[in-house]
Amino acid sequence: MKRHRKRKLTVIIFIALGLSATVGLTLFALGQNMNMFYTPSQVALGEVGVGQRFRIGGMVKEGSFFSAPDSLKVKFETTDYVHAVPIEYEGILPDLFREGQGIVAEGSVDDKGVFSASRVLAKHDENYMSQEVKAALDAAGTDEAIQILQERSSK
Amino acid sequence: MWLWFAKLGSPKWFYDVSDRWLPWLAGAMALFMIVGVIWALLFLPPDYQQGLTTRILVIHVAVAGTSLAFFPLMAVAGTITLVWKMKLADMVAKNAAALGAWFSFVTLATGSIWGSVMWGTWWEWTDARLVSMLFQFFLLLSVVALRSAIEDTDKAAKACALLSIVGCINVVIIKYSVEWWNVLHQPASPLSMSSDNANGPEFWMATGVMIIAVYLFFIVSLILTTRNEILQREKRSQWVQDIVRAA
Amino acid sequence: MTQSIQFSSISEFLDMGGYAFNVWAVYAVFLVFIFVNLVFPIVRRKKILREIKKQSVFEHTDTDSTD
Repeated sequence: MKRHRKRKLTVIIFIALGLSATVGLTLFALGQNMNMFYTPSQVALGEVGVGQRFRIGGMVKEGSFFSAPDSLKVKFETTDYVHAVPIEYEGILPDLFREGQGIVAEGSVDDKGVFSASRVLAKHDENYMSQEVKAALDAAGTDEAIQILQERSSK
Repeated sequence: MWLWFAKLGSPKWFYDVSDRWLPWLAGAMALFMIVGVIWALLFLPPDYQQGLTTRILVIHVAVAGTSLAFFPLMAVAGTITLVWKMKLADMVAKNAAALGAWFSFVTLATGSIWGSVMWGTWWEWTDARLVSMLFQFFLLLSVVALRSAIEDTDKAAKACALLSIVGCINVVIIKYSVEWWNVLHQPASPLSMSSDNANGPEFWMATGVMIIAVYLFFIVSLILTTRNEILQREKRSQWVQDIVRAA
Repeated sequence: MTQSIQFSSISEFLDMGGYAFNVWAVYAVFLVFIFVNLVFPIVRRKKILREIKKQSVFEHTDTDSTD
């Protein structure tokens, strides 16, 4: 390679490295602010103040879902399998919403630790499975394995 | 090696070779595209959570994955332009930018259409994956705009090359955003060889066919626009005049 | 691995398990995307060839007249 070309290439590599370092450090400094939601453990441990608006993300605890018979009011708990936070919401839930699946809710906690949500979004995990396979797995009692997969994906 | 490299930089050589390759590439693209679409639409089994909306994800994943190839391609072409001043590299980079903007837009649109029913939202400004993909769309548009804003071809090529190299950082952010931060978007699925598992072949094979189809489409479309660019930039050369006379 | 057609009738196919709007919208967007990025370059090529032809004819008549 000719001398001036080598020099140009070196300059380009240095620019690229310098920029990557800058962006990397910026993202590192932003840290928590880049997260979309807090986990139930963070909320239970009081990382967010009462009345402050934020998002919480976790799994809908099995057997915790109750809906009012005469309105769109629903109650459920969201959990990261360490701590659970009760959520109250009134409105239409997304199609993917169900027990054992991930959700992200937007709202705030009161002094009793109850989260009242103004919006509930469903989170899909990275596992795709046909209804047939799911049914076969359930029949074989390996539902626990899927549970573990889901837990891992919801971190 | 260097001879081959110099040859590759010759627009005439590229034009001749692409002439021979285009029918094969286009044929393969059509084949994979038809098989992929029919497989996805008719044969893909319903997912236990999201039903038949996996048909959307086959398209979304293929287009989104391919859209990440644009900045690395443009950065390599840009480096070649800056260091070796190869004309062909810049012609490829120029046409890749506009096509890449299309890919990013389709990724955003298809994702939104899926999210609106599954997540319950069309768009979330707080999701790093979504926002970084939108950023890629704008970056590619700004490469196109920068090109048209600078009249001098060489200067425009240099400016776009630099912006393309910088833009590669965003590709890394898009890719790892789902791992680094808590976001709504699902992470990449680990493939499974057995259909007794999650992500078995009954799902990823249709997606795999579609990914190949979309990559071939990307290559065919880019070759077509690059050939147009060659004809325009080399219109005074004898070999282009010969083609024009024969056409 | 089960690979059979998932629908028993045309109307069931069109309905896409209740997600007709979303599924068909995505395939429509995809179709337009493919179509535009293949047909436009082909149309443009014809236009470019025509323009170059016109220009070269002008240039030739130019050189002819100055000769």
